[in-house]
Amino acid sequence: MRSLISWLFLVPWMVQAQEVPADPEPFEEKKLEWNGNLDAKYTAFHMDRGSALYKLQFVDAAASSAYLSQYRIEPYLNADYQTKDLGFHLKTHATYFSEDEASVDLFEAYGSYNPSFNSTLQAGKRVYNWGKGYAFNPVGYVNPVKDPENPELAQAGLLSASFEYVKSFSSPHLQTFSLHLVVVPPPPDLLNRYAEVQYTGFAVKGYVLLWDTDVDIIGFYRKDDRKQLGFDLSRNLRENIEIHAELSYSQGSSMYSITNGGLQEVRRDQYSSLAGFRYLHESNTTIIAEYYYNGGGMNPAEFETYVGFLTNAANSGNGVVAQQALGVSQRYFRGSTLMRDYLYVKLAIPEPFDWLYFTPSLYSIYNLNDRSFLVSASLSYKPITNVEFILWPTILTGTETSEFGGKMVRQRIEAWLRVYF
Amino acid sequence: MLIIALSLPSLAAPAQDANALLKSVDENLMPESYEAIRRLVNEEPDGGKKEFTFFTIKKGKEKIALLYIAPASEKGRATLRLGENMWLYIPNVNKPLRITSLQSIVGGVFNNADLMQLDYHAEYEAVSAGETANERILDLKAKNNTVAYDRLKMWVTKKDTILRKVEAYASSGMLIKTLEFKEDKDFGNGLVRPSVIETTSPLYKGYRSIIVYQRIKPRQFRDEVFTLNYLGRLGELR
Repeated sequence: MRSLISWLFLVPWMVQAQEVPADPEPFEEKKLEWNGNLDAKYTAFHMDRGSALYKLQFVDAAASSAYLSQYRIEPYLNADYQTKDLGFHLKTHATYFSEDEASVDLFEAYGSYNPSFNSTLQAGKRVYNWGKGYAFNPVGYVNPVKDPENPELAQAGLLSASFEYVKSFSSPHLQTFSLHLVVVPPPPDLLNRYAEVQYTGFAVKGYVLLWDTDVDIIGFYRKDDRKQLGFDLSRNLRENIEIHAELSYSQGSSMYSITNGGLQEVRRDQYSSLAGFRYLHESNTTIIAEYYYNGGGMNPAEFETYVGFLTNAANSGNGVVAQQALGVSQRYFRGSTLMRDYLYVKLAIPEPFDWLYFTPSLYSIYNLNDRSFLVSASLSYKPITNVEFILWPTILTGTETSEFGGKMVRQRIEAWLRVYF
Repeated sequence: MLIIALSLPSLAAPAQDANALLKSVDENLMPESYEAIRRLVNEEPDGGKKEFTFFTIKKGKEKIALLYIAPASEKGRATLRLGENMWLYIPNVNKPLRITSLQSIVGGVFNNADLMQLDYHAEYEAVSAGETANERILDLKAKNNTVAYDRLKMWVTKKDTILRKVEAYASSGMLIKTLEFKEDKDFGNGLVRPSVIETTSPLYKGYRSIIVYQRIKPRQFRDEVFTLNYLGRLGELR
């Protein structure tokens, strides 16, 4: 691990030293290419030591102050081999806190073959990102769980095999049609290696570019799981306004709540939806706004019961009860959209005041049900080729029993150094 | 009535002539369908430089796609333009996002309107605006408001109809940038054109952007190359 990290640090600086050759060589084509980046991330937290989640998380690790810090490095290493018809693609990610606390993830590893110009077969582990929403994707049935705080962050893909077919038309109405079929093997829950064939999942996405509008119809089926059907669309209304929407129907979707002090799973049908726009102001400011209805989320009464469950466990003085509650929270109530109605707004102002390569952005996720919210500013600066600095302060606000107000972090500020090679 | 009837052809003729000249300018700049490799160097007042390399493919009047091949921080990003529809592909998340057609995708004096330029004659109406000893001057007005620059002023050589200079203006009349076309080079297949485009802007004093064409080659593409499905695979065409 040490040699890998040293190498990742050195390579970008070596590349930087060779920047802008006086007499550049003609571009050389390569079949196998390596690239990646190293993120060094320092985060300072102002913790809410009174919150139930803080008490559960730090039950055996008392801190004398509400101000904590974290320093970690995250190397990303990618390889791509491509010929005319064959390809191999690899994306890896590691997280390193210390020699004792480090992990490596295989984000993607898949091979591809093009039986014809219009079609592609792929098999392995790969990321799908279906849906038109920026921060949320109700129709992203095979997507990784999205982090609305950083929708452009690389994530782990899905073990699957897929077939994709695309056809273009010269018609002024229908310009493109494509079909994407994905087979998702069931998780290997028998001896961690085997699974029953009957629980294989199938996803399909049909896409058309029709009358200058992107339209997808998406479905997912697995015998023992939810059955889902949805569609999305996006279109440019004017030269500076784009609109998008998603609607999803889920049959037999698992919904979790706390009943009588214990976890309860209910399977029921539900709708989720999203509507949003992207607007470019003449000042070059981009505004992205989305409303998200999470049909699988908790209503205010259910959320209050959930918070009560955590609070009781945190105040029980019983380590086993606390651990169980924490486990339930981390497994069944993950993510930053546990309730139903959310508003997401982001403003990005590239290069304000003619400050080249500096892009500040401000975004907020607002929970319309309990009026708690998160507001964050991402300040990105890329003064040198292949180097990026990011400063990222975040504030979470709301009552103690609200979603964002009840989190264990009140404020945090992150400082990233990102080097690419 | 007679006067009007007689004057109409004489008014229309210069515009037709100017538009025909503009079409010739386009034909002398790029084949109708091509692949190209370009380096963009942004030079800053303190001597600092940032460099990008793009692989671009174009088919006909409406289809163009651009792939970043350097630097590493941008590698794999791609944009696709089909007429007035435009998408940005982010390789990290394997997702094409529809963006507004005026969205800028690269920092510095250049913006994506410069990099994703379709034929001038497809986007502008031209009228003659005078001449110098060696050049003709055209005044170009955008055909619609999806075009980044409302008006262009263009200098074209009389001898061989090669573009030498473009001034880009906002609808307010403000000069946004000046592009100078230099260093004619034989790219093969009968294409001799400027290989360097220098851009300066009064909005970015002391900054300069230089585009160097390394390769321009006529090439035919299937229409399927210009689809969202293909955005993540553009590198296969290099």
